[in-house]
Amino acid sequence: MIILFVALPLVIAGILPLVGKVSRRVVPDLLANATLLFLLVYAAVAGRHFIAAGPVLQQLSWFGEPVAIRLALDGFSLFMLLAIALVGLAACLFSIDYMEHYGAKANYYALFLVMVAGMNGLVLATDLFSVYLFMEVAAVASYALVAFGLGQDELEAAFKYLMLSVVATAFILAGVAVIFGMTGSLEFAAVAKALQELNAGAVVGVASAFFIMGFGLKAALVPFHAWLPDAHPSAPAPISAILSGLLIKVSGVYAMTRIFLNVFGLTPALSTVLMSLGTLSLVVAAFLALGQKDIKRMLAYSSISQVGYVVLGIGIGTPLGIAGGLFHLFNHALAKGLLFLTSGSVQQATGTRNLDEMGGLAKRMPVTAMTNLVGALSISGVPPLNGFWSKLVIIIALVQAGHPVFAVIAVLASVLTLWYYLLMQRKAFFGKLNEKWAAVKEAPFWMTAATVFLALLCVGIGIFFSSTVTTWIQPAADVLADGIHAAIGSWGF
Amino acid sequence: MTPKMLLLPILLPAVLAVVLLVIPRTLRLVRDALALAGAAVLLYYGFVFFALKDLRFNVPWLGMGIDFDLRLYHFSSFILLALAGFLILITLYSTVKIKDAPRAREFFAYVFLTAAFANGAVLANNFVPLVFFWEGLLVTLYGLITIGGRPTSGRTAVKALLIGAFCDFSMILGIGLLWTVSGTLTMSQISVEPTGLAAVAFIMMMIGAAGKAGAMPFHTWIPDAAIDAPVTFMAFLPAAFEKLLGIYLLARISLDFFKIRPGSGLAVLLMIVGAVTIVLAVLMALVQKDFKRLLSYHAVSQVGYMILGIGTAIPIGIAGGLFHMINHAMYKSGLFLSAGSVEHRTGTTELKKLGGLRKEMPLTAFGFTVCALAISGVWPLNGFVSKEMVFHGALESGYTIFAIAAWVGAIFTFASFLKAGHSVFFGERTREVPAVKESQPAIVVPILVLAALCILFGVYNKLPLTLFIQPILEGHVEAGAHLNFASHALDIFTPVALISIGCLVLAFLLHRHGFLKTGRKPYLASEPIHNLPVVHKLYDLAEARVFDPYEQGVKVLHGLSLFLFKAIDRPIDFVYEKVVTFAGEKFTAILKKAHNGHYANYLAWCLAGLIIVAGAISLLMK
Repeated sequence: MIILFVALPLVIAGILPLVGKVSRRVVPDLLANATLLFLLVYAAVAGRHFIAAGPVLQQLSWFGEPVAIRLALDGFSLFMLLAIALVGLAACLFSIDYMEHYGAKANYYALFLVMVAGMNGLVLATDLFSVYLFMEVAAVASYALVAFGLGQDELEAAFKYLMLSVVATAFILAGVAVIFGMTGSLEFAAVAKALQELNAGAVVGVASAFFIMGFGLKAALVPFHAWLPDAHPSAPAPISAILSGLLIKVSGVYAMTRIFLNVFGLTPALSTVLMSLGTLSLVVAAFLALGQKDIKRMLAYSSISQVGYVVLGIGIGTPLGIAGGLFHLFNHALAKGLLFLTSGSVQQATGTRNLDEMGGLAKRMPVTAMTNLVGALSISGVPPLNGFWSKLVIIIALVQAGHPVFAVIAVLASVLTLWYYLLMQRKAFFGKLNEKWAAVKEAPFWMTAATVFLALLCVGIGIFFSSTVTTWIQPAADVLADGIHAAIGSWGF
Repeated sequence: MTPKMLLLPILLPAVLAVVLLVIPRTLRLVRDALALAGAAVLLYYGFVFFALKDLRFNVPWLGMGIDFDLRLYHFSSFILLALAGFLILITLYSTVKIKDAPRAREFFAYVFLTAAFANGAVLANNFVPLVFFWEGLLVTLYGLITIGGRPTSGRTAVKALLIGAFCDFSMILGIGLLWTVSGTLTMSQISVEPTGLAAVAFIMMMIGAAGKAGAMPFHTWIPDAAIDAPVTFMAFLPAAFEKLLGIYLLARISLDFFKIRPGSGLAVLLMIVGAVTIVLAVLMALVQKDFKRLLSYHAVSQVGYMILGIGTAIPIGIAGGLFHMINHAMYKSGLFLSAGSVEHRTGTTELKKLGGLRKEMPLTAFGFTVCALAISGVWPLNGFVSKEMVFHGALESGYTIFAIAAWVGAIFTFASFLKAGHSVFFGERTREVPAVKESQPAIVVPILVLAALCILFGVYNKLPLTLFIQPILEGHVEAGAHLNFASHALDIFTPVALISIGCLVLAFLLHRHGFLKTGRKPYLASEPIHNLPVVHKLYDLAEARVFDPYEQGVKVLHGLSLFLFKAIDRPIDFVYEKVVTFAGEKFTAILKKAHNGHYANYLAWCLAGLIIVAGAISLLMK
């Protein structure tokens, strides 16, 4: 019943605006969080059971007639579903208190769940067009969510986001068209098989370039990144957490990885391009983050930089590199989600996002400061937090695969990361308490609960990293390391 | 009696220490009673163990030959008994003296913890447990000094800790070397020839043992502690416990672990350390103006006799050194306790302010006098006997120079005690101190017990010599060697004894000369010597701590760290602080400038990126 991952949030999203007419707060809160909790439990408990004997396929049918929607669940998709459910649940819990003053909570949750449904669908899709379709579902919901505050900035940011996203999807669609024109099919398995036989290098190259630009825009790789620092900070904090923590990875990194590794097959050329783009993002965005005064903009640039890490790891193409990249994707989703949530707590308490105006907030908001520190140290790669292990794996994989220069750059960029995160800590939480914030109080219960939940995950995964890797990361990495055989072998209908 | 009983002298005081720490101030009487009862039990078992003499407790511990191995035999049972004896006297004394101190609970806890560690160190038959207990003593040493509560107490405590840590570190290295040489950590199995690596091991372990006993140049914290730490602590650790432990270990090192031959290089080294310690420390003691500080330098000086005695490696010398250890612990503890008694009533220990206390504090004065005469080596007290044995040993070893050094030490020892006694208890009553009473029984009794023991061990020296000392040497000398030292111990018509007595007369004349020359002020009696042309300069330098290796070491390290800071740290810091941040900020500024918010700009980058990626892919595919 893997359709449940898509259908359930969609159905609930449909009900929510109606429910909102009756109950403004309590029922939508309950309903949305219960849905995400169910998805989390379903992915974590039932999901592993489903794929115990290999990937699962589901052919949707309409009154007994098969329709052209097929979903597949394998190690990689399950891993992504788990990440979506985890961060989604944390953001949703956070919203209970955070979204109070925005109003229209039921509509908010409905959009939220549509976005989740879109991401889940993308992860389960088995053909290129479904990828495009679900990507647009998630994206449209996210445009609305970025603009949810309806302020001048939010609307401008949402519009900019929309305009560049449209460019991205246009190029993705172009790439899909090229592939369809060559192979006459959109199914992953059929395309993979056909491309094997066709041996049409140049055209695949063009399609790859289109996809890299399109998905690169979605994933905000440098130089396709410029929309993200405007869009992400303008959204409400839980949405920023979802956008930075999940959406860019699902519609950018996941889609790109799935297509390049399982459908096209990773050629050395593609590998080099991906690694170069990853490294470029890693370094450039780290420097840009360093220069930010706005806490959420700093976090947004940091996301670009960390996605660079993920792409660098996956781009190596070795099993260890892929595992490291995926592990970092997961860790970054948790830690960046956590950081955006704490930034929301700070913004709500002080009314500002400017780091220069903050100072000494740890004295007034100890839990927020503590969880923020955990997230920052995790992303910076400080042992024994989870981020340390994934960066370590990526760097080891780089050295093993014979890319010592990339490894050195990755290490140095990690120092840069620590630099700007310590800067953030010092300006926002440490030091003398700014007189202005003498009356500031700790964030409300659900907001702190959500951040503590993520912070505990960061610490816990850091300590039990090996069991996390063997249960969740390794099955996903195995699927990718299998290359096109994974798609041809198990998805052929 | 099961071997497990050997844990009692370690666990009982350790548990008691915790209990004493948590008993609130209001239950002081319970605390005192508990402490005394605990000490009494330990003393009882001290006798039981001494009668038993042979017990072994051994459980595997960390593997690799590291066992928790305790061994009771003659030597360790003797030290165990002595430790228990001092513990109960000090506890009794503390019930009054420490009564109102702000950190009294901690004091009692540290004292009993010290006893636990000391008992463990004495019983240990494996080097690893030994080091464990030995290091534990360092912790309580630090704690006890800080209880002094003076502004400089913390500094002195750190000084004692660092000097102790240096000596212990040296000892641990020595133990490591000895382990490689002998291949075992079980102390009773080790007996190596001190050559090559083993000689280095011997010297390093000797530093550890002599440092614990307070020999030069590891003594410099003791005179500081005399001022900064409670006087009870001085009577407890530097006077009694540390001497017993340090000399016990030194004797074990030079008798058991290494076979030191008379007149060998290492034996001479020991004798040099001993002789230098005797002479230099006593010269410092002579000119002190504070009662406790004067005593503390003697606590250093007397160690010299013990080390000199053991260094002769001749039975009578070793026996003299060991006998001097127990004698010294008694009279020096008694002296510190009587100084504490004076301080308790008058509130000061400055010689200048005191005088003529014998009428008001007759018992303290009596105890002091006996102990002072004993330390000066006056016939027929115990100090006379043990010093005679050391003189004999030094002469027999063939190095007359060391015997002369020991005699010189005897002269100044007596001279300085004439000065101290004259200043405090005899002479004229000063007006600085109001009328006082004799101290409470709990203070006087320990002093009198120690004084009585000094008399007993002197007059009836056969008892301690045959009971305690001679069995230690059995098995370490050639079979059939002469082991009866008691026969000529109190004989005054031998050349050695006559020279010693001559030294005492000389000391008396020196004191009288100084007393008369400085206007009949006893506390200035040492000034004629103090003011000798070159000597005066040296004294000034010594008082300014120029000869203190610790202070000089601290200065050198300060300079070194300053140099490293300026020459290495700052330039590196400059690179990080200025060069890296500047470059980073510049680069960031350029990148930020490019992000100007223009949509067309961003779109252009995307297209440029597409072209580059497409170009790169097509290039790479070829």
